[in-house]
Amino acid sequence: MASFLLRQRSTQSDLEPPESLGEVLWEEEVERICSTKVALQALPYAMMDKRLIRHLREPDGVKTSFWEQWKKKWQRVHQQFLDVSHRLMGIFGLWKTDLYEIGGLFGTGIQSYFTFLRFLMVLNLLTFLLTSSLVLLPLAWLHSPEPGPALNTSYHCPTSREPQPDLSRIHLHLWDVFTGRALSNTYLFYGSYRMGPESDSQYSVRLAYLLSPLTCLLLCFCGTVRRMVKGLLHKRLLSRDYRPRLSSKVFVSWDFCIRSREAATIKQHSISNEFKIELQEEQRTLQMQQQTRKQRARQLLSYVGLNMIIGLLVVGGISAIYWATKFSQNYKDESLSLLLQYMSPGVISLVNNLGPLLFGFLVQLENYPPNTEINLTLFWCVVLKLSSLGMFLFSLRQQAVLCSGRSDHSSCEPHGYNQCDQCWENSVGQELYKLSIFDFFLMLAFAFLITLPRRLLVDHLSGQFWVWLGREEFLVPKNVLDIVAGQTITWMGLFYCPLLPLLTSIFIFFTFYVKKYTLLRNCRPSPRLFQASSATFFFQLVLLLGLLVASVPLLYVISSIPSSVNCGLFSNYSAPWQVVPEAMALRLSPSAQKVFYYFGSNTFWYPILILLSLTLTVCLSQSGANKRAIKGLRRQLLWQVREKWHLVEDLSRLLQESGGSDSWGPESPSSRSSRPRSFCPGFPCPGSPRSRSFMVGSTHSQVTSSFSFL
Amino acid sequence: MGSSTSHLSKELLTEYQELTFLTKQEILLAHKRFSDLLPQESRNMEDSLRVRVSTEQILTLPELKANPFRERICRVFSTAPERDSLSFEDFLDLFSVFSDAATPEIKSHYAFRIFDFDDDGTLNKEDLKQLVNCLTGEGQDTQLSTTEMKQLIENILEESDIDRDGTINLSEFQHVISRSPDFTSSFKIVL
Repeated sequence: MASFLLRQRSTQSDLEPPESLGEVLWEEEVERICSTKVALQALPYAMMDKRLIRHLREPDGVKTSFWEQWKKKWQRVHQQFLDVSHRLMGIFGLWKTDLYEIGGLFGTGIQSYFTFLRFLMVLNLLTFLLTSSLVLLPLAWLHSPEPGPALNTSYHCPTSREPQPDLSRIHLHLWDVFTGRALSNTYLFYGSYRMGPESDSQYSVRLAYLLSPLTCLLLCFCGTVRRMVKGLLHKRLLSRDYRPRLSSKVFVSWDFCIRSREAATIKQHSISNEFKIELQEEQRTLQMQQQTRKQRARQLLSYVGLNMIIGLLVVGGISAIYWATKFSQNYKDESLSLLLQYMSPGVISLVNNLGPLLFGFLVQLENYPPNTEINLTLFWCVVLKLSSLGMFLFSLRQQAVLCSGRSDHSSCEPHGYNQCDQCWENSVGQELYKLSIFDFFLMLAFAFLITLPRRLLVDHLSGQFWVWLGREEFLVPKNVLDIVAGQTITWMGLFYCPLLPLLTSIFIFFTFYVKKYTLLRNCRPSPRLFQASSATFFFQLVLLLGLLVASVPLLYVISSIPSSVNCGLFSNYSAPWQVVPEAMALRLSPSAQKVFYYFGSNTFWYPILILLSLTLTVCLSQSGANKRAIKGLRRQLLWQVREKWHLVEDLSRLLQESGGSDSWGPESPSSRSSRPRSFCPGFPCPGSPRSRSFMVGSTHSQVTSSFSFL
Repeated sequence: MGSSTSHLSKELLTEYQELTFLTKQEILLAHKRFSDLLPQESRNMEDSLRVRVSTEQILTLPELKANPFRERICRVFSTAPERDSLSFEDFLDLFSVFSDAATPEIKSHYAFRIFDFDDDGTLNKEDLKQLVNCLTGEGQDTQLSTTEMKQLIENILEESDIDRDGTINLSEFQHVISRSPDFTSSFKIVL
């Protein structure tokens, strides 16, 4: 097995007098490679060169030490283990071929949306597993009383509803499923969980029920923040020096996984658009810097004015949601008409679909650069979506809180919260359940009743209008916002409707296939480039905001609002959180209780706060010092390279004067025309026919060091 | 092994696993795809490891067909003297660098070589111009005008050329790449 490289070297030395410098560099390079600890796989050489290096590192005849042999055996076992685990994960890898197909056709930007769907589905399934294993299984194990509302006979409530006519029995059943009433006595909703009083020996289902949503939210928070920070470091906090915008776009934007010709053409179009937009924006920034003060003030004023108008629109939309919720709650039980039951979800969807159109229209009037337009519209869409959900929950809570715990139930009668039915947690859970179902069916309706007919009409009819309309564009941010809103609803409902994550994961499962079908058949890809990394950062950020919108009300409810007297696990407590001190008092020794009280008190948190501020100050000053050091190093590098080329020019001049007619040395960048290939390639070329001066890594250090010998 | 079936021997598989980033299944799949490109008479074990496949044939693979850098890729990974054909080991090297498990350093190293159209070790203005033309395609409406190209290349050099010598060398390229988290996921070809 004569190595390719060795063969080259021997032929070379036969052909011409040895270029001493080249040989020296070659030997140094081989020495350096053999002595590094870099794994063979990670060396950037051809396979036969890697074999040579492996042979040079450990020649066959030499006996390796016991330690080396053991290490090699361990590495082989480790490799086999990794192989097996990869194969197992391949079996469980859901939708891998689908993601591969989408990535090959549309690139990694759109593929990241589908990966995000899969991530959310797994998240919901894990949440459901956690809840069921901590709450449902123990409940079943401990043979708790059957789920159902408590009969409180002291209020002389009617024991049954009026008998319904037989004809509409099935219709009513289906309807009850959609409004959640049929399931209100099952474990789906809060109201039907029952448990005896707390004791110190039994597993505390109350504690588990209380802590499992909090644990889920905390874990989701940590996971999301961790994933966000990874992307954040590269994106936002870097100053202009560190943030090569265009060069990274040029070097990184091609997706090598694209396999179809049409997709490649589309990608080329979007890359070209992206470059043109960036260049235009650069020109515009330069122009803006030359503006007068008056013009700048006017621009700022119009920007602020636009934002205020949009803010007013958002406030208007949110108040519409508030009034709609109040209205529908007032007449909750009176009639079963479609309009009233699903009024709030309907109004929310209306606001969230009209809003972005209005925002886009208004923003376009102002003629901003495209990036600003997109970011502004996106920002307001996120604000609208999350605040509409927050307002919905707030108005629900208002209705519920106003009526529970009141002794005079006369004013609550019209609201439907009479004492017999006093389970406001169930109502909130039912509203969230309805919203979740409504979102899913709305997504189906949009996909099959709007996008599909649009595609059919555009494809089969000819005419100016249809050509202008075109197929629908697959907008990743809009789809991500929808799915994050659905996840926020699920998180909001964790306390009131513990099995909602299961429902959501089923919905996401079907959403994946519907969206895939829509993307592949009925949509055209957007001409705007959407890079995977910026996409992931945006997803995580919106998910985090949704998490905050869901957690804050939940924490407030758990700690301060008294639960219903008639239903649920916390009927005897002033607030659900009171279970925790009671459980601690029952189960822990006094000294352990003292420790926990200390952790909750001020004397613990003040020193922690001071310590954190100190650490933050140290980190900030360190990063400032690092920035200055990097600036200084750049200047030094510039200066050294200039000096190097200066020396090279001097040397070639001296050589020319002293002897040979043609300069064999490299020429400075000022005269680029005849730069010999032999001297400064940055890497070895296994197939290069002539000389072998290897200089992997920094070209400059090698040449500078070689010149120091002369 | 005397059999003429195309099963790689265990020692060879272990060696390939040591020298590349591919798993056993990926190596076997690559061998199968490579053998499909060979003429019928060379599809046995020994020949498949020895015979070279011309670049034109490699370019018929669906993974490379639509890639504007396909000729550069074949040229960079080829160890033939004229750089126009790939052996099986070159083929494995190719998919090893483009695999999931490859380190970002080796990916950026080979990306640099692929983008260096004139093979001189640095990315000068001509290389960048050809790179941008590959990215934007040949169409009349997608190609950048001369002024736009000039502006773009000046921007790139200003952002990435740290030592101001008018070219981008390997370390500067790797520095730019290390700032973009997208690179590892986009520089990937899976069989």
